[in-house]
Amino acid sequence: MRVNAVRIVWRITRLNFRAQLEYRTEFLLMIAIGAIWQVSVIVFATVLLTRFAGMGGWDSSDVLLIPATRMMAHGLMVLFLGRMHGIGRYIQEGRVDIYLVRPMPVHRQAQLEYFPTNAIGDLTVATGLMIGALGRSHLDWTAGRSAYLIAALIGGMLLEAALFTAVASASLRFPSADYWSRWLEDLLGTFGSYPLNVLPRAVGGFLTYALPLAFVAYLPAAVLTGHGHDTGVPYWLAAASPLVGVLAYLGARLLWRWSLGHYTGVNG
Amino acid sequence: MAALHAWRAARVTPLGELLAPPRITAALLRLTVQVVLVASLWRGLYAHTGATAGLTRDQAVTYAVLAVLASRLRELDQYAGRDTVLQHMHFGTIIYWYLRPLPPQRYYALRAFGEQMYGLAWALTGYVVCLAAGVVDPPKSAAAAGVFALSMLLGQLVLYYVMLVIDQLCFWTLRNGAAMLILIFAQNLLSGVYAPLWFFPDWFITMSRFLPFQATLSVPLSIYVGRVPLSDAGAQLALQAVWVVALSLFTRFLWRRAARRVVAQGG
Repeated sequence: MRVNAVRIVWRITRLNFRAQLEYRTEFLLMIAIGAIWQVSVIVFATVLLTRFAGMGGWDSSDVLLIPATRMMAHGLMVLFLGRMHGIGRYIQEGRVDIYLVRPMPVHRQAQLEYFPTNAIGDLTVATGLMIGALGRSHLDWTAGRSAYLIAALIGGMLLEAALFTAVASASLRFPSADYWSRWLEDLLGTFGSYPLNVLPRAVGGFLTYALPLAFVAYLPAAVLTGHGHDTGVPYWLAAASPLVGVLAYLGARLLWRWSLGHYTGVNG
Repeated sequence: MAALHAWRAARVTPLGELLAPPRITAALLRLTVQVVLVASLWRGLYAHTGATAGLTRDQAVTYAVLAVLASRLRELDQYAGRDTVLQHMHFGTIIYWYLRPLPPQRYYALRAFGEQMYGLAWALTGYVVCLAAGVVDPPKSAAAAGVFALSMLLGQLVLYYVMLVIDQLCFWTLRNGAAMLILIFAQNLLSGVYAPLWFFPDWFITMSRFLPFQATLSVPLSIYVGRVPLSDAGAQLALQAVWVVALSLFTRFLWRRAARRVVAQGG
């Protein structure tokens, strides 16, 4: 992006933020909803950890690192690239046609549609959980390990964005495909937060190779906590999770570009 | 004639679903994957644990799978058709609800009935398949099945009223997407969709007793899996009935107040 483009993005974002502040109660409630939604993950994880003896051979301090990583990656995704999630609605409302005639890439315009207030809540809870998880962790947080965790967060953010971008690309062709993105969010929230080796091998394989949510948090956390060799995935692949996120996102953007080339609006 | 009009109103949303094949495929795939994942999760969790919180492995799996199936009952996407109350308030089209020769509350009830019947077809089909595949246990006895059916019916009524209150909120607050999300979330958490309430801490279970949400799903499912014995079921059914009556009176009152607030396009 050129300097001028960055300036425009920044100005629009500021305006969007002020627009969100127009409805004060709604603004605060949006932050609350982000927070509450993530608290549910914590409640669920707590219930599982207190009621059941460990999970898949991981002790509870190691397990906590998975929801913390996943939630942080999700919060960053919502903040920076989250508008891909609801784009099916814009497509149904014909807003993409308006984007097409403006001198700015469609993807960027979609991202600038509104300011994601709920990301503030998401990230607040995620930061709290991450601090809690790192505080309880018995690991030695060397510079290498910390750098890997940061890379995993960025990779997780990009991988989640890639999945939603792929669904958004499908929505350009089949507007009702937007339905899948809600399901994807459910799946990521429910199954992205604990060791997948508690699931049968076939199901774990599905969530690794067919719908690669294992790479968002489970595999990086396994590598960090020394469980990398018993995930059922080759160790080098588990260790390359952040790279998988980058590649998936680049692939999804290419798919988006191709789908946009084949987009036909309501008027044909 | 009235029956024909009722039928036409009730089938609107299901018809919209049936005309969008990708949505049907998505619903089918989503339901199948969700059932498989939920069943494997609870089986995996119970691998090294016996009964916990009074639930055995099979009871927990049955409860969780039935909760997934029951969540199909009000799953329809009205948003795509710009047909949620929130959108009608936003676009001003809510005025049409008040111009028809059909009271808005009856129209709303008919639409919800159609949606719930359509969802019931999905849930029942799923239930039969899961029962045949041995994923869920059959009810303990014919009596338990009967009490469960009655409790489920009451639960659906409570759910209808809870969703109605959420929609009626839109008459008072023009922008309330967040409040609605919070309520829907509370409904999911406190009705036991995420995890059976029995696993939660005691204070959480006590708090749930004073709220209508657990009457929607947790009560009927607990009766089904036998976590609530039939001897205690009477009290639970009575509580559900009390919620139905209380919420029905409350929503009736809200409908009356809402009618005075409808202003379209600035009046």
